[in-house]
Amino acid sequence: MNRTLEKKIEPYIWLLPSLILMAVFVVFPILIVFKLSFSEVSKSGLVGGFIGFKNFADAISLPAFKTVMLNTLYWVVSVVGLSTILGFVIAMVLNQKFRGRKIARAIVVFPWATSLVIQASVWNYIIKYEYGNLNNILLNLGIIKQAVNWRMSYQLEFIWECGVGIFVTIPFVTFCVLSGLQAIDNSLYEAAEIDGASFWNRLWHITIPLVKPSLTVSTVLNIIYVFNSFPIIYTMTKGAPSNKTDTLVTYLYMLNFYDRQKGPATALSVIGFLVLCLCAGIYMLGVMRKEDNG
Amino acid sequence: MKTPDAVRKQNRAALALMLAALLLVGVFMSLPAYRFSAGVYTLKSANTFVGDEKYQQALEEVNAVAEEYREKGFDVSLEESVTERTNSKGEKTSLVAFTLNNSFTKNGWSFLGAGLNSSWVLLAMLLCLLLALACALAGSVSTVSEPYKALDGRAAAFRSAACWLLLAALLLLPVFFMMNTYTLSRRVLLYTGGVLTGGKEAFFAQLDAFLFGGIAGEEINGALKGLRFSAGAAMWLCLPCIFAMLLAAIQLRHGSVAHSLLRGMLYAFVIVLCLFILYPYYVMLVTAFRSSAETNDMYFLHVFPTEWKFSNLRDIISRGVPRYLLNSFLIAGGATLIALLCGIPAAYAMARMKFKGKKLFLGFVIMSQMFSPVVLLIGISQLMSALHLNDSILGLMLINAAFNQAFAIWLLRGTFVSISPEMEQAARIDGCTTMGSLLHILLPMAAPGIVTTLIFVFINSWNEYTISTVLISTAANRPITVGITQFSSFNMIEWQYLFAASLLATVPVVILFMCIEKHLTSGLTSGGVKG
Repeated sequence: MNRTLEKKIEPYIWLLPSLILMAVFVVFPILIVFKLSFSEVSKSGLVGGFIGFKNFADAISLPAFKTVMLNTLYWVVSVVGLSTILGFVIAMVLNQKFRGRKIARAIVVFPWATSLVIQASVWNYIIKYEYGNLNNILLNLGIIKQAVNWRMSYQLEFIWECGVGIFVTIPFVTFCVLSGLQAIDNSLYEAAEIDGASFWNRLWHITIPLVKPSLTVSTVLNIIYVFNSFPIIYTMTKGAPSNKTDTLVTYLYMLNFYDRQKGPATALSVIGFLVLCLCAGIYMLGVMRKEDNG
Repeated sequence: MKTPDAVRKQNRAALALMLAALLLVGVFMSLPAYRFSAGVYTLKSANTFVGDEKYQQALEEVNAVAEEYREKGFDVSLEESVTERTNSKGEKTSLVAFTLNNSFTKNGWSFLGAGLNSSWVLLAMLLCLLLALACALAGSVSTVSEPYKALDGRAAAFRSAACWLLLAALLLLPVFFMMNTYTLSRRVLLYTGGVLTGGKEAFFAQLDAFLFGGIAGEEINGALKGLRFSAGAAMWLCLPCIFAMLLAAIQLRHGSVAHSLLRGMLYAFVIVLCLFILYPYYVMLVTAFRSSAETNDMYFLHVFPTEWKFSNLRDIISRGVPRYLLNSFLIAGGATLIALLCGIPAAYAMARMKFKGKKLFLGFVIMSQMFSPVVLLIGISQLMSALHLNDSILGLMLINAAFNQAFAIWLLRGTFVSISPEMEQAARIDGCTTMGSLLHILLPMAAPGIVTTLIFVFINSWNEYTISTVLISTAANRPITVGITQFSSFNMIEWQYLFAASLLATVPVVILFMCIEKHLTSGLTSGGVKG
């Protein structure tokens, strides 16, 4: 065989296993979902002919559609926003030098390493009204006099779900920011201190610009992870009452596997997929530009 | 630099402040601010209107009881409440309730000899305060005008000790109040409902001696029913005083308080944060070893189980948990193996070779990182049934490997790029094949990065839940994340089993994650982005 030809195709052979794996298990499902969303799908899952955008129209006219979309927006914005802010603050603190810093860092990583179902189950138990651990502890400490119903309304339950979402998302942000902070040259701060810059000045003009790349990575990845987050809501409320605490992914799961409305469910899948594509596209543009520069 | 005169003045002011604050604490301790109240007797009289015959009868009855109590030495007061409403026939009815209240106040000093658990805390706090003042004085007697940075060892040690003692006092004060609320409101409430035996009796005798001077005797149970304790004001008066003493002591030690305050806030923040993060894990741990009755008991008082039920572990073992753990291990292990076998060559090509479409492939990798399988659930379940891989462990391995592929390539490429290619080139000149140089030279050098990737993919696959719930229908094929949901059915959740199984599923991965914590961050952001 020709040596140059061999040299030319060699890289592709190295890529091949990875490509096949991803093509079959990532790209193929995408295609299937797209195809289904434009086909008639019976309750039992039998695929019929092409019906244009009827599934999308059905999905949009579902009574819960608006609530679910708004919930998804609240969910993503509140969880990503608050966990980014809190994670940033925690990273700033953990970047200081103090005794026990290593232990503190190891502890902060805990929620990241724990399965979301387990986290959600534990918090589910903690905020139970009748025998939840939070009431128990607060009563014992004498901070409250009577058990508080922490999940009185669905709004409150949704807020708790967002809280758990923030709790499990913080470590990722913290560690992304930390890695950015550690890369900052200390002499910058020393120079700024000599110039008499205040804490806020230093934060605004040195820390934030230099941490921005890692913050962007973590924010974009978080938007995607949080958007896709399923176990927390599924474990804590299952979207009850009447889809008032559902987000897109839990709703489409229920729609497809419980209510057997497979047509609209696939349409919702495609909508979610397109939203993710948009985020991914923006992110990729950013990364590619950096690749060009570096 | 401050002059010795200024330093002396400053130190004297600090010492004076400490003394004044200590005296104030003493004054606040003497205030009768600790209020106890208990309803000793209640009489409800239905269909009774204020002033009518039935009312008079009931009032006499209650007064007679009150007289009995007064003779015994109780200071009881009568309270009446009237509820009026219209019944279904349109008639007006009324219910009069008479309550005999026994309420009294005590001052802080009376706790000292009471022998209650909280008494010892209060005693410790007061000792801390006194010792702190003594230390501060001892540390400044002969060195009152020395500059702060040049204090001799003994004086510095004394002044530091004062700071730490005051910090301890500051923390002990809320503990004292919380213990009182705990014992006097919660524990009494429970004990009066139950049967008095052994330790409880001793506890009640102590309370009787403290609250009533021993006069309640046999009737202590009734006299304590619904005992309430409140002393918030006393705490909020004492706390600022002790805090002022602490600030003065810090001033005495360092000459300024700002730095120490900031450090203190930093430590406080970190400690609160760590406690908060560990809280759900604590709940998981203790609930896992409680009995079923204790997990559902609202008035469960203890921080730890009264009896560690290790039999919970035995119970979940007989309900399939080892099988689920094994499945999880197989799925995560298989996924990791596949992801690395496919990922290492790809990452190697990306890091070391030049070819057309490299950027396209990188874009594809980044894009596929974006798609969590959840949105594609429907497509995946269709694909898997077409491949006859639904409800199989192999199917989950492949899916997990595929969706972690992007991350694996991402991290591995970063590691490979950071290793200089010179060694491999040298080996190639010596006649080594590409494969050989990868296996024998690059991989050993990249071991830390590979281990990080391996653990990361393993944990991701181990924790995966959504796809497994959809794909797996046979109980024997469930991974642990799906397996634990069998303990929570619609009408009943067996919390102790749920958390015992969760614990087994969590501990190994948390430990693994702590191992790679340091490497992970650098890989996450610099691995792909900086390249």
